[in-house]
Amino acid sequence: MKIGTFVRATGIGLILLFAVAPILVLILAAFDEGRFFRFPPRGLSMRWFIAAFESAEYRASVTRSVVVASLATVISVGLGGLAALGLVRGRPPGQAYLEALILAPLALPLVVWAIAFLQVLSYSGLGGTLFGLILAHVIITLPIAMRVILATFTRIDPDLEAAARSLGATPVRAFLRTTLPLARGGIAGAAALSFLVSFNDVVVSTFVAGAGWVTFPVRLYAQLRGEGIDPITLAIGAMIVGVIIVGAIATELWPRRRGR
Amino acid sequence: MRSPREAGGGTSLSPTLSLLFIAPAAILVLAAFGLPFLLLLALSLASPVEGSLVPDMSNPTLAAYSRILGDGFYLRTLATTLAMSLATAAGCLALALPLAHWLARRAGRARRVLTAIVLLPLACGALLPTLGLVHLLGPLGVVNGTLRGLGLIASPLPLLGTQLGIVIGLIQAFLPFAVLPILAVLDRTPPVIEEAAITLGATPARLWVRIILPLAWPGLLAGGLLVFCSALTAFVTPQIVGQGKVATFAMLAYQQALQVLDWPFASALAVTMLAALALAAVVTFSLARLRP
Amino acid sequence: MRHRLVGTVAFAVAALPALAQDFAGQTLVVGTWGGDIERLLRTHVAEPLEAETGARVEFLLGGSSDRMAKLYAERDNPTMDVTFQNIYEAPQLLADGLVVAPDPESPAFKAIWEGMNEGCYAMSLVGLGIAYNKQLFPEPPEWADLWKPDYHGRIAMAPYPSSESDGFLAVAARLAGADEHDPDAAFSKLAELGPPALTYTSLDEIFALMDAGEVAAAPMISGYVLSSLADWENIGFVFPTDPGPVLVRDMVCQVANSPNPELARMFIERAVGVETQTAYAEELMFGPTNSSVTLSGEAATGTINTPEEVATLVQLDWPWLIEQRPEWTERWNREILGQ
Repeated sequence: MKIGTFVRATGIGLILLFAVAPILVLILAAFDEGRFFRFPPRGLSMRWFIAAFESAEYRASVTRSVVVASLATVISVGLGGLAALGLVRGRPPGQAYLEALILAPLALPLVVWAIAFLQVLSYSGLGGTLFGLILAHVIITLPIAMRVILATFTRIDPDLEAAARSLGATPVRAFLRTTLPLARGGIAGAAALSFLVSFNDVVVSTFVAGAGWVTFPVRLYAQLRGEGIDPITLAIGAMIVGVIIVGAIATELWPRRRGR
Repeated sequence: MRSPREAGGGTSLSPTLSLLFIAPAAILVLAAFGLPFLLLLALSLASPVEGSLVPDMSNPTLAAYSRILGDGFYLRTLATTLAMSLATAAGCLALALPLAHWLARRAGRARRVLTAIVLLPLACGALLPTLGLVHLLGPLGVVNGTLRGLGLIASPLPLLGTQLGIVIGLIQAFLPFAVLPILAVLDRTPPVIEEAAITLGATPARLWVRIILPLAWPGLLAGGLLVFCSALTAFVTPQIVGQGKVATFAMLAYQQALQVLDWPFASALAVTMLAALALAAVVTFSLARLRP
Repeated sequence: MRHRLVGTVAFAVAALPALAQDFAGQTLVVGTWGGDIERLLRTHVAEPLEAETGARVEFLLGGSSDRMAKLYAERDNPTMDVTFQNIYEAPQLLADGLVVAPDPESPAFKAIWEGMNEGCYAMSLVGLGIAYNKQLFPEPPEWADLWKPDYHGRIAMAPYPSSESDGFLAVAARLAGADEHDPDAAFSKLAELGPPALTYTSLDEIFALMDAGEVAAAPMISGYVLSSLADWENIGFVFPTDPGPVLVRDMVCQVANSPNPELARMFIERAVGVETQTAYAEELMFGPTNSSVTLSGEAATGTINTPEEVATLVQLDWPWLIEQRPEWTERWNREILGQ
């Protein structure tokens, strides 16, 4: 059993290493003093982190990305969750087609769709607006959110809800008290994926975003094609990684302390 | 006992009510995705105008489609792209299932932090991790350096500019899409089923194939679909890891849509891809129904 | 005719300080590349323009092909007023009526070297030369040296279409005794190099591999390459002489039917003005198009900045190349990449 544990730990460790190895390269490169994405780093420095904080343009673009991603996440998890519930718990006519419809945006090369979307948007006089940008992002994130929540709902026994109702709970209350808490993990996963996909979208945003809504990835790519990677973006990437890990540790510790 | 694959999914909503639940998402997709898609369909039938990039939509033609279908180059590229996307989905699921299972059952208090770490490849966009990967996979990179140092290979493995390298890059990029749904599903299945199987003397192989795999099935299905579609439409990773030496269908669509600005042809490429997927879905669906 | 009239009026208005605040509340949208170009345009063009007119200038960042696609998608309802494009795109935009033709009576037009305004106003002059690994090429190479057997399969290229790859095809055609009007000569000569060692989309990718000697050389555009060389001691850059470097231009365009045409013209005047053009040359090694700019030191030697230097450059038939693009893309995918 001990050997088994060791083999398992090594295997899991290797998978995790595979997942994050490129991120480690990115973090190390962010501390390189040079102007290029080099690896291994040749001279350590904090200059790009300082430059990131000093750049009003980068600060503004990260803030915009957070705003857009938050709105897109709330809408796609809300609508996607509702649709997933309808698909799993009801047997609506044309169930398979309805699911395929909501998933369809996953199956097109986004750049081609984005150009068509921009034409429709521009024709409706909505070119360059925040509304158009959010709408475009929701189309990308809604299928992801819907599919993840759908998978979670299929593993939640509807009998639980039925039991709650037989004990006198209203349908809404029964859902909120039984199914929703059980689906919390799936909803959180859907929200995390939606947020990150929206936060990092460049293909659609490049076309649809107006000048007032240049997001962080759009700014990153705009420079790439002429000059290459701005090391400031490496520093921002490293800081995003830091925020996520610190956030995960904090949420792990916080409820427990409260519980004591 | 019902098999785990069929657990859940009972009906508790009337068809009308469930349609009401689905309606907002469906209407949004119909409007914001469907309308542009109709335009795209129309564009794919438009005919090019000499000396202009604005196509003539009043004069429909199937020229773009016959250019795709009448020529082995595009169909071969489509087949290669589908195969690479399948390999990516399989690779992601093979790594994600044990990882998600371990996170769900054994990680304990490390779980939340490790799950966050699994998400990181998605957190910095496709580009920065992909460039990081290039530094690892290159002829002078860490991977080849380590393998050479261990004496496992004599000359560097060609990982950049190959299909293998691209699939590795895509697995790395999209692993979170596979891990999260499987984790969410495994969380909703009681560990006692597995414990009972072990108590009853199931071998590890039987445990994984007969118990864990069916338990995780909805998650595998969701994760596999998300990874497959993302790999199919990705172009940053194939372009950079592939060094422009391996053409994928999405890269060709990107080139036509953005660089050549031949929108009728780019649209026809996109429609072809969607049609191929729809066909694959119908075939899979009918095969699944045929099974007793 | 209407445009010319509007232009004259606009310049007259711009010249009157009393009317300066007339543009308050308006926002000029300028599509351009991010990074140093955005920074220089903000300092030397946008900020003075904002101070003078009371308008706001916002930059829409992206690559030039993104902007090109956006111009076509929004052609009935444009959101950009000014856009920066490459020479391989600008003539097509004018042909499709998406940009306002350069006005020969405008100060901007007259300030720019003759013959450089093609489709839009010429913003900067750069040349397609050779970036190379100094160990592999002890002497700066000529174009023909790239065809030596030692370097087979070790030459990197830009994606097609681009100024770089159109220019490299034209060079290959000239080495084969023809020019870009003979695609068969161009493609078969280029295919002799073997498959590209790398199709690069950013300087980081290519310089890392060139520094390590994995890539021997690549046709690249001066400008950013020159201003980056300080970071890479193993990499050199040369303008060959037989044939000479291919002339490549960045263009600045006024979008047709844009919301703020007067402001757009004022922006373009400042962009091609002496101050901005000098800053481009001194900080980015982009050659000025404004004939009144005088440079000294490193900027003078590194950039293309005199009519004599322009005369040594290979000038391509861009409208022809644009027309060939769909067919050449197919050939590039099959004959160069698919080897």
